[in-house]
Amino acid sequence: MMPKQVKAIVIAGNGTNCEREVAFACQLAGADVADIVHVAELLAGRAKLEDYHFLNLAGGFLDGDDLGSAKAGANRLLNAKIAGSQETIADQIRQFVADGKLVMGVCNGFQLMVKMGLLPALAGGSKQSCSLTFNDGGRFEDRWTWLKVDSDSPCIFTRGLDAVYLPVRHGEGKFVADNKQTLGQLEQQNLAVVKYADVNLHPTMEYPDNPNGSECAIAGICDPTGRLFGLMPHPEAYIHRTHHPRWTREELPEEGMGLWMYQNAISFIREELLK
Amino acid sequence: MTLAVPADKLEAFVTLAKEMDVEATDLGNFTDSGYFHCLFEGKTVSYLSMEFLHEGVPQMVIPAKWQPKSLSEPEVETPKNLNDELQKLLSRLNICSKESVVRRYDHEVQAGTVIKPLVGVANDGPSDAAVFRPILDSFTGVVVSHGICPSYSDIDTYHMMACAIDEGLRNYVAVGGDIDHVAGLDNFCWCDPVQSEKTPDGEYKAAQLVRANKALYDYCVAFGVPLISGKDSMKNDYQIGDTKISIPPTVLFSVIGKIADARKSVSMDVKRPDDLVYLLGDTHNELGGSEYYAELGELGSNVPKVDAESALHRYRTLNKAQEQQLVASCHDLSDGGLAVALAEKAFAGGYGIKVSLAKVAADVGMREDQILFSESQSRLLVTVHRENQTTFEALFKGQSCQRIGTVCTQPELLVTGENNKVLISSPIDLLKEAWQAPLREM
Repeated sequence: MMPKQVKAIVIAGNGTNCEREVAFACQLAGADVADIVHVAELLAGRAKLEDYHFLNLAGGFLDGDDLGSAKAGANRLLNAKIAGSQETIADQIRQFVADGKLVMGVCNGFQLMVKMGLLPALAGGSKQSCSLTFNDGGRFEDRWTWLKVDSDSPCIFTRGLDAVYLPVRHGEGKFVADNKQTLGQLEQQNLAVVKYADVNLHPTMEYPDNPNGSECAIAGICDPTGRLFGLMPHPEAYIHRTHHPRWTREELPEEGMGLWMYQNAISFIREELLK
Repeated sequence: MTLAVPADKLEAFVTLAKEMDVEATDLGNFTDSGYFHCLFEGKTVSYLSMEFLHEGVPQMVIPAKWQPKSLSEPEVETPKNLNDELQKLLSRLNICSKESVVRRYDHEVQAGTVIKPLVGVANDGPSDAAVFRPILDSFTGVVVSHGICPSYSDIDTYHMMACAIDEGLRNYVAVGGDIDHVAGLDNFCWCDPVQSEKTPDGEYKAAQLVRANKALYDYCVAFGVPLISGKDSMKNDYQIGDTKISIPPTVLFSVIGKIADARKSVSMDVKRPDDLVYLLGDTHNELGGSEYYAELGELGSNVPKVDAESALHRYRTLNKAQEQQLVASCHDLSDGGLAVALAEKAFAGGYGIKVSLAKVAADVGMREDQILFSESQSRLLVTVHRENQTTFEALFKGQSCQRIGTVCTQPELLVTGENNKVLISSPIDLLKEAWQAPLREM
């Protein structure tokens, strides 16, 4: 019998600009297939999410970030009908999630998940309860940050990880919740998976270690199942030692820390979904 | 944009455009009439012959007259405290850190960046150039760098252009770019060079343009660098009332090329204490148009000149040293000269540097401040681990290569002169602060 294949899909759209490296990270982590598929192809019905196990929403400025980061894009995915049907891409994603598959959104992809209500999906619903808004500094920033991982989190992607060093590259990355209750639930259920931290790996509100002023220093969250994960920093941007800003002066392993998240995803798919 | 699409593929093309939310309109087709025929609602609005379209504009004749300015070197008092002079230079707008601007751009998108614009122990030192891997499963790298030095135009645009080309190329080789696999782009930003009532000095400005282009030809041929593109913006003048401001004749010389293995790229920050510090290239009394003179309100006349032959030999040898991984760090000398380059290397790496000016190959009779701040071209600062000293020095045998000092644990820039007289003794944190402060909050 043919061994079952792990199939990853990376959605590209008007304005995404990280789909190539996300697909490459999936491949490097062991995915047998890592297809880059344009939103238009999904809407034309030529490609279907059901053919994949791992959905990646990549960084960029989908649909021009009109109406706020990823907002117009979220509306397109929620409302545009797939050719010849009444189904939307959001419907396909909901089925994908119900099938126990994995979704990861990075940067603009995280903004997209939050604005579609896919994260944190606390009550299992899809009402938007959080957002990512303008950095406290008021400007776009590219800088590397330490992230402390909540080791008690149900998140599949961060299993076995304690801390990771990754770049943020965003203007709207400040995590905010609609109320204290939402924040409290995120903390209690260990859904605030990664937090901006100082060099001693203590979560911090201090700039620049916390580059945007995110509430509770939250850099990324997962849903209660741990299978949906979104974060502002870019794991796909640290998969080889030459990505590290100080690789010319430090002894570093070949593999970058961001790759671990993709490896966790692929292992889960092999062990839990393809078993 | 306009595209030519074969008639039998038009339908498929329009369908694809529609699917991708791109508005596409069929405007017309190519004919053999020999005319550009344009209609609106069936009525002809233009009917122009191909000959007129291609040859119709008469060749312009722009008078140019080169008249060298009568300039001289200033009488500069010997500075009392060179620490202060260095700090003042580090804070100058052309030299200080541009981090607040650099961070505002995504310089890592597509995850191929190998040498970032900000490097060093605290991710904030000034990189000479960028290296990136456009193909993610290959270690072949693309190197991108720039040279720009408009202040030299106040003396002679010929040498401004030569220096911009050399600066672009030495930034490029500093990180490991292959000097024999490189191309340039000449980007002109110029003032109106056509003599008129509004531009009474047009003949001089046109001559500046001619001289810049002569240097462009001479030096690109000498360095073997093809120009693959460029741009020009030729009317950068501003008039309000009787005041007219023309920008200095400026060329941004962009360089793009290849490094066979991006893992052999070199960054500018010093790497470890006890490494040896080398200066490649001679230092001449060339402070005309320098940042040092500008700080003193002077222009001078000794504009830096480029010796392409020796520079090319040096860059090729440096490439060999980089290929053999003998180079721990490499930084070009540009605005502010040797002193600024030493300071930047030290605080980017988080270690001190101790050097002796007496070891610098400088013109006879040059003063210490002149050696420190001269902007002679084609010079680079290199640090080398001691275990590589012999091999490195053997490679540069017969060339201008001076071992001027060492990297040290003590976080201080220490420059001594004749008889070990201390000329500069500054904590690197202080130098870094002077360099970072001006535009930090911008």
